Amino acid sequence: MAEEIKNIKESFKKDLEKAENKDSLENLKVKYLGRKSKISQLFSNIPNLAKQERGHWGKELNILKNKISSAIKEKLSKEVQKEEKIDLTYPAKYPQKGSIHILSSVTKEICLIFKELGFNVIEGNEVEDEWHNFSALNIPLDHPSRDAFDTFYLDLDKKDKKSGSWLLRSHTSPSQIRIMQQVDPPLAVISPGRVYRPDVVDATHSFMFYQIEGFVVGQDISFSHLKGVLLYFARQFFSQEVQLRFRPHFFPFTEPSAEVDVSCVICSQKNKQKNKERCPVCKGKGWLEILGCGMIHPNVLEACNIDSKKYQGFAFGMGVDRIIMQKYQINDIRLFYENDKNFLKQFPL
Amino acid sequence: MDFSLNFIKQFVDIKSSAQELAKLLTSAGLEIENLEKTADDWVFSAEVTTNRYDWLSIIGIAQEVAAVSGKKINLKYPRTKTTPKIEKKKIIINNLEDCPYYLGRTIKKTKVGQSPEWLKKLLINCKIASVNNIVDATNYCMLKWGNPLHAFDLDKIEGDICIRRAKDKENFIGIDQKQRTLTPENLVVADSKKVIALAGVMGAKNTEVTADTKNIFLEAAKFSPTTVRRSRRGVGLDTESSYRFERRVSELCLEYASGEAVDLILKLAKGEFGGYKKVGRKTEEKPKQITISLTKMKNYLGTDFRLPEVKKILNSLNCKVKKVSADKIKVKPALSRFDLAREVDVYEEFARIYGYNKIKAKLPFVIKDLKKNPVLDKEENSWKFKNKIRDFVALLGFSEIITYSMENRKELAIITKERGLSLRNPLRSQENSLRPRLSLGMIKSIKHNLNRGKEDLTFFEIADIYKKKSKNKVKESSFLSLGVTGDKERFFQLKGAVWEVLSYLNIKPAVSENTMASFSNSLELKAEGKIIGFMAKLDQKVKNKFGLKEDLFISELDLDLLEQLKKGKKFRSFSKFPAVWRDISLAIDKNIKFRKISKIIEEGSQYLSDLKIVDTYQGKNLPKDHFGFTLRLFYQSSQKTLNSDQVDIYHNQIREKLHDKKGIILR
Repeated sequence: MAEEIKNIKESFKKDLEKAENKDSLENLKVKYLGRKSKISQLFSNIPNLAKQERGHWGKELNILKNKISSAIKEKLSKEVQKEEKIDLTYPAKYPQKGSIHILSSVTKEICLIFKELGFNVIEGNEVEDEWHNFSALNIPLDHPSRDAFDTFYLDLDKKDKKSGSWLLRSHTSPSQIRIMQQVDPPLAVISPGRVYRPDVVDATHSFMFYQIEGFVVGQDISFSHLKGVLLYFARQFFSQEVQLRFRPHFFPFTEPSAEVDVSCVICSQKNKQKNKERCPVCKGKGWLEILGCGMIHPNVLEACNIDSKKYQGFAFGMGVDRIIMQKYQINDIRLFYENDKNFLKQFPL
Repeated sequence: MDFSLNFIKQFVDIKSSAQELAKLLTSAGLEIENLEKTADDWVFSAEVTTNRYDWLSIIGIAQEVAAVSGKKINLKYPRTKTTPKIEKKKIIINNLEDCPYYLGRTIKKTKVGQSPEWLKKLLINCKIASVNNIVDATNYCMLKWGNPLHAFDLDKIEGDICIRRAKDKENFIGIDQKQRTLTPENLVVADSKKVIALAGVMGAKNTEVTADTKNIFLEAAKFSPTTVRRSRRGVGLDTESSYRFERRVSELCLEYASGEAVDLILKLAKGEFGGYKKVGRKTEEKPKQITISLTKMKNYLGTDFRLPEVKKILNSLNCKVKKVSADKIKVKPALSRFDLAREVDVYEEFARIYGYNKIKAKLPFVIKDLKKNPVLDKEENSWKFKNKIRDFVALLGFSEIITYSMENRKELAIITKERGLSLRNPLRSQENSLRPRLSLGMIKSIKHNLNRGKEDLTFFEIADIYKKKSKNKVKESSFLSLGVTGDKERFFQLKGAVWEVLSYLNIKPAVSENTMASFSNSLELKAEGKIIGFMAKLDQKVKNKFGLKEDLFISELDLDLLEQLKKGKKFRSFSKFPAVWRDISLAIDKNIKFRKISKIIEEGSQYLSDLKIVDTYQGKNLPKDHFGFTLRLFYQSSQKTLNSDQVDIYHNQIREKLHDKKGIILR
């Protein structure tokens, strides 16, 4: 019996070494622990042994069986672990993802910042008339912006004499005029959308582009509120660190008027003095022009039947395309309207 | 406007550096865009806003420099010669609207030659080329006073001078040697035989001052800004002269500019004064007094200041200030400041010198007073609706594109019978019409990407379309377009996306096959009797016309209608019990629509919960013109787990119903 056990042990040791995969280990189980295995045969031989030896060899056989069983198990579990390892360095498989155009997503982002302050979003129509696009905004009849060089006119008859010709809005202001005509102050409105001007297309011009304008009218709205609202916007949109610079400017529809620069979001005004490495975005000036604004001209309020002695307010407007080009260093406006997949996928949301 | 710092220094004492001055001017509203050092001078490039014609002159800028640096301007007005009168020539103005005021002076026996170095340098530092002493003298005075002047060779002017509109197709060769054909939109200065200048824009070659010129006719005039603008745009010119006339020129300085130019010519080119003539009359009124309440001004600007501060700033701008009461002052603007007409104009004058950046930023607010309003709600809801659709479609794996609202009329006609709305003044023929449908933009973006090796594209756009409703009415509505390219199976991805959108909005569409121009195959979608959109496959002919490398499937949905038709959602409970499935293999005649089979199946059992195609095949084993597939039918109850025997019964009932139909073979 001792001899037999020893043989089993040795042959198992060899077999175990040779067994290199799950299947051969499973075969070992059958060979050494199965119903037809040597150990089974030895077990069935035990009754034939001398009575005093039966207990001893029974124990020995059980120990052997357990040892074999746990050796197989151990190696098997190692094998299983080994087999399940896959090469994780293979390239990823991407799900088919959709995307939202950067002009849409940034427009929404900006509107939501103003909504936090209580502004209402209104889009209005792109087809407008001369009165809403110009006259109501204190833009005189002979103003250059009314020329066919600067505004697209539609081949339609006039609605009536006051409205003048049909046109494609050259800014989103006419949509705001319509609100001022219909809703009593106080008002806080933000209006995003497409606008059109007959500019020859090049890297920085497009005859269609996106604009966001806003206005607030109330009894005590002042220039300092205009500054407060725009600073809030700039810090939410660019970063908490940015500064604004207000430069006096001229617009027919606001007085006082200003152009607003934001401290360069790319170089943080750091290479202002270093002429060697001029910031490619602000060209070393440290400031980027982002919007125009001012206190709404009393003529505009009056055109909308709002009493300019009682109410005052401010308005502002910005080009979305331009702000995105500055923020993301995009050098050609045509990329927005070409819809190249390589461009779209860079800004998914 | 480019100007030399040395020129300014002739009129105001400047202590600060060029950089500091540029900063001061920029923050006062005269934006210095560029600063350039020369040997002994600085060149400033300024962006002048359209309301400040006075900043198109050195004296106007000197006045501003004085204001921002707390100095006084030192300017001497020249004495001008007005006798003898010009007797030989008549000056006729056809229309005083085009030209309200015209001054002529003659100078005889001049010697045309080079300008002295100081003048050449000054002009170059104002970015104006030196020509000869006569022309340089006129440019010097234009820069100084802001009034463009023109010197003609008097001996080449034949007969009288007339300021009139050009005849149609009249010829003009400018001093730039280029020939232009004029229209009555152009205002010209003409003699009895020919055009001698495009009024306010450029002189003609035929009367140009040359080395041989002896006698000069010097023009100083006021031309209508609008007339000059239209005239020069019509011929595609933009000159120092037209730039100033378009903004308006001062009547006040007209006499000084002309008079000083004569003096300078006499000094530089010798000669003697010939004569003087003026036609038309001055039309400008003096700026009016404006009464200001300090309390109102503080409230408007949102900052506090005291009267002496206001007085000091306004005085520095040559405005006279008179105190009327504790709170009120009367302001009389400088003679050149016609842009100051209302209280708010004075507020701005004060604020820009006081410093916009000194006014504190405060958050208002009216928010607490804002009221709900149906007009605002409606607008904002439709904005929110479009945002949700945009997010949802992107979630379905589609990429948003943005394409132009204008297209070419002929190209639009390829894809739709609906007429676009024509532009009266298109920029180019590629975009001469507003689109009545979004598909063309989709096709072009798809083409762009297919041509660059991309395939299996899924794009969408949300934008407005425009339709002519009557001869003076337009309808603008928001649409969603979806585009999918690839093999014919890809159509069903488009269909799936459309179904997802409609189910998201809780809208159940009715579908019918229809025919649409330029689409080989199309489905029309209706809800509550209204057409909400279509899904279709682009025609091969159209596909080839646009050179698309893959098939294109397009859907357009009317978002305004969908917004109206959408329904709210509430939770619907779902079965807790497992579904059991059975397969069924069929061969059907190619003329039978799948819809017919699915209808029979769907109506066949109340427990049918889903149905899908698990296999399709074509081949020898099938009868001619038949198509085979295996359907998997799912059965589920909300009450209990269905057992196998029950399901077999339901399934066999459906099999029998299918078996009875002609053209369907059970396998």
